[in-house]
Amino acid sequence: MNRKSFFTAVAGLTALACAPLFTHNPYYIHMIGTIMIYAILLFGLDIVVGYTGQVSLGHAGLFGVGSYTAGVLFIKLGAPLWVIIPASIAVTAGFGALLALPALRVSGPYLAMVTLAFGTIVQILINEMDFLTEGPLGIKIPKPSIAGMQLNENGFYWLVFALMVLSLVVADRILKSQYGRAFEALRGSPVASDCMGVSVYRYKVFAFVISAGYAGLAGCLYAYSEQYISPNTYNFELTVLFLLAVIMGGRKTRTGALLGAAIIVILPKLLDDLELFRIVASTLAVLMIIGGGIGIARKMTTPKAMAVPVLGTLALAGFSFWLQSITDWRLSIFGLMILFVVYYLQDGIVGFVRNLFARKGGSAEDHAFRTIDRSKDAIMVAANTGHVEAGHDLLTAKGVLMQFGGLKAINQVDLHVKRGTIHGLIGPNGSGKSTMMNVLTGIYVPTAGSIEFAGRSVVGRTSSDIALSGIARTFQNVQLFGEMTALQNIQVGLHHSFASNILDVSLHTPRYRREEDASVERGLGLINFVGLTGLAHEEARNLPYGKQRLLEIARALALDPQLLLLDEPAAGLTAPDIKELVTIIRKIRDHGITVILIEHHMDVVMGICDNVSVLDFGQKIAEGKPAEVQADEKVIEAYLGGTAA
Amino acid sequence: MEILLQLIYSGIALGMIYAVIAFGYQLTFQTSDTLNFGQGDALMLGAMVGLTLVNMGVNYWLMLPLVIVFGLLQGAVVERIGVRPAIKIKSEFGWIMSTIALGIIFKNVAENVWGRDDLKFPSPLPESPIQVFGANVLPMEILVVVGAVLMMLAVEFFNRKTIYGKAVVATFNDRDAAKLMGINTGLVITFSYALSSATAGFAGALIAPLTLTGATMGAVLGLKAFAVAIIGGLTSGLGIIVGGIILGVAETTTGFYISTGYKDVPGLVLLLLVLAFKPSGLFGKTAIKKV
Repeated sequence: MNRKSFFTAVAGLTALACAPLFTHNPYYIHMIGTIMIYAILLFGLDIVVGYTGQVSLGHAGLFGVGSYTAGVLFIKLGAPLWVIIPASIAVTAGFGALLALPALRVSGPYLAMVTLAFGTIVQILINEMDFLTEGPLGIKIPKPSIAGMQLNENGFYWLVFALMVLSLVVADRILKSQYGRAFEALRGSPVASDCMGVSVYRYKVFAFVISAGYAGLAGCLYAYSEQYISPNTYNFELTVLFLLAVIMGGRKTRTGALLGAAIIVILPKLLDDLELFRIVASTLAVLMIIGGGIGIARKMTTPKAMAVPVLGTLALAGFSFWLQSITDWRLSIFGLMILFVVYYLQDGIVGFVRNLFARKGGSAEDHAFRTIDRSKDAIMVAANTGHVEAGHDLLTAKGVLMQFGGLKAINQVDLHVKRGTIHGLIGPNGSGKSTMMNVLTGIYVPTAGSIEFAGRSVVGRTSSDIALSGIARTFQNVQLFGEMTALQNIQVGLHHSFASNILDVSLHTPRYRREEDASVERGLGLINFVGLTGLAHEEARNLPYGKQRLLEIARALALDPQLLLLDEPAAGLTAPDIKELVTIIRKIRDHGITVILIEHHMDVVMGICDNVSVLDFGQKIAEGKPAEVQADEKVIEAYLGGTAA
Repeated sequence: MEILLQLIYSGIALGMIYAVIAFGYQLTFQTSDTLNFGQGDALMLGAMVGLTLVNMGVNYWLMLPLVIVFGLLQGAVVERIGVRPAIKIKSEFGWIMSTIALGIIFKNVAENVWGRDDLKFPSPLPESPIQVFGANVLPMEILVVVGAVLMMLAVEFFNRKTIYGKAVVATFNDRDAAKLMGINTGLVITFSYALSSATAGFAGALIAPLTLTGATMGAVLGLKAFAVAIIGGLTSGLGIIVGGIILGVAETTTGFYISTGYKDVPGLVLLLLVLAFKPSGLFGKTAIKKV
């Protein structure tokens, strides 16, 4: 965070803290308090929605669990505040872990349905388990007391404020640390995360647990704030509102969460006032027409693309004058807002504003970072684990069989890769090369056969475990974390170099700072190594294809691998780029890292490989020095077609 | 024993409704890998429009095809507004959110048009039960089962025997290849949504006389039908009938032996369990992920 935004944040928060001093109207104080409580939940929801990219429809349920933990502990045990807050967080986090179990196996629409089912079950249980929750009657809770002193409306406001700021800081720090990067990596490419040693399994659970913890805290405060809770609050509508808040405010920003919370709390109150709604709707329509007109005049957009939003806002304005009462149509309005945000405001309000300024701002930040660059060769560090005696087999695969239904993609293949060599793996399309890679990295479990890497079996271990033991890879179809910068991509690869836990991250202990600084330095070093200097802060998806491939190699090197699997690194590269690539691969080998290279450019393979294995229809048909393989009858036949048998 | 048999009968009738809605999920999933999260609301709209027509004096049997036509239109609207833009920008988040949003809007509109109270749908068949193996069955329940099966058979027949159906199947197998073969895949997807909403609307008109009809009737039905679609597997036709019946019976028995308040729980728990242990469903095939 730079200094300017830091001061803005402090000023904003101070104003928020002072709010009760300016207004003595309890209605407003309660309203701002509610906004802050929702904001706490949204910080958590954003972890799941914004960072891991999943739709959770269960957060109203989790919110309810938090509220009811507080309510039940209070009426059954009369527990004090300092017990109730941690208990609510812990219980809800537990539910989050429970929810993560089915969520682990699925994503996208399935996950949305799972969380929806979870939310529905929670609501049913709260309704039915009246021995614990008083059922539909609800629970009454007075405002909490601290040290025997009953908090009044203002006192409670400040309590909520303090907890909100705490949540904000912790969430912000977690999300900017290696944890946040891991969450984001899950979204970008789950397979690549696993192959970078960031276990999708573990971090998905983690994201849900943290997110649920936040929902628990918010739920607990909500119970105190309303002083009455009943099951109907925690319904589908609330869940959808939360989602609307996150995407409308802006994903992946804390400001967005605060803004979103304000919108969903204030908007229903605004909608109670029909006159105001008519004015707002008309203004919106006028603005949209002007905006659309300007857009079309400047050729930034086509009349066709603008037709829907313009007509939509016009219809809304017309609708507002036809209406007698707006409260009944609240949900439709939320629905329309969701549609609007999903298609026209994908980055939310904060993202939209940021984009506006980013165009003017330019790359001041980039210059600042470039000064940190060290000329130190980052890969030196990477290779220091690899200096065991050369010439022995690093990887031994025996009789590997990979069967998909009736198809034998790999059939009884043996592979011996000597330490410190570049081992080529070639063969016509569909010969099983990439399948072999996937078997070696644990993405597929072979049907039969054994694979030993550095003296340990690979078969049956998870991809992330294999990655951490020293096998790194790149992908045939690039699997970068698109929305993350080049540097962040590499930092995901460096995830293994972090020992700091959540507490270190939240408190910014020296250990965390040291590790973070080291990872930036190593990351920039690796970026230099593959020749991407100056592109460290560019989003990976914006890089040209060839550079994306190089970035993948850098990311794989960040894992400090002993064995690097390169899957068609030269595909799509121009001739000079290929030359560059060959130099890079040689350098990698010279640093003691063993390389398996799949490639169709024969000059590359023949030029740099120490040994070559040839696959055809899943079987190994030749092996040896490049020159021997090149002269092999079978190989020529496989590539050029046989001279009729 | 008699009670149990009776519970099983009504469970089967209920299960067939789930199967029909789940069938609707399958239709759209097959062509576009997307689902309509407002499927339950399509069902509710079908029931509501049916009720309005019946109250206007339209014969129940004449009303059914009209409801199907309405469903076709409603589904096409959902696809055009909610799904097509999202497919274009390849945003999974987009279509999930927009179909949810459309579902909310439909529900809210229904609340404002037809009121918030549950309404009684007049039964077209006599309401006196028939004895089958010593337990009572409502004639309406038999109609539900027959109607559901006929609807599914009709769509299956269409898919397998007609050239248009082959276009649907081709789109399911490989959208891009189908497009290159000159099939208007966009139209096929729109059509699958129309068909999906039509089946849901039809199911709504079928089940309405057995339950109360109201704006909120769709939400839970849609969710439980998703459970059925998952249990059966999103690509297995037989699976959803078996899954629907399992869920229907589980529900009626839970409602009777434990408490009606808990009747939605077994389906949802089943959904969570199936997704936790066998996400491709009990009858579906596991897809091989490609890297």
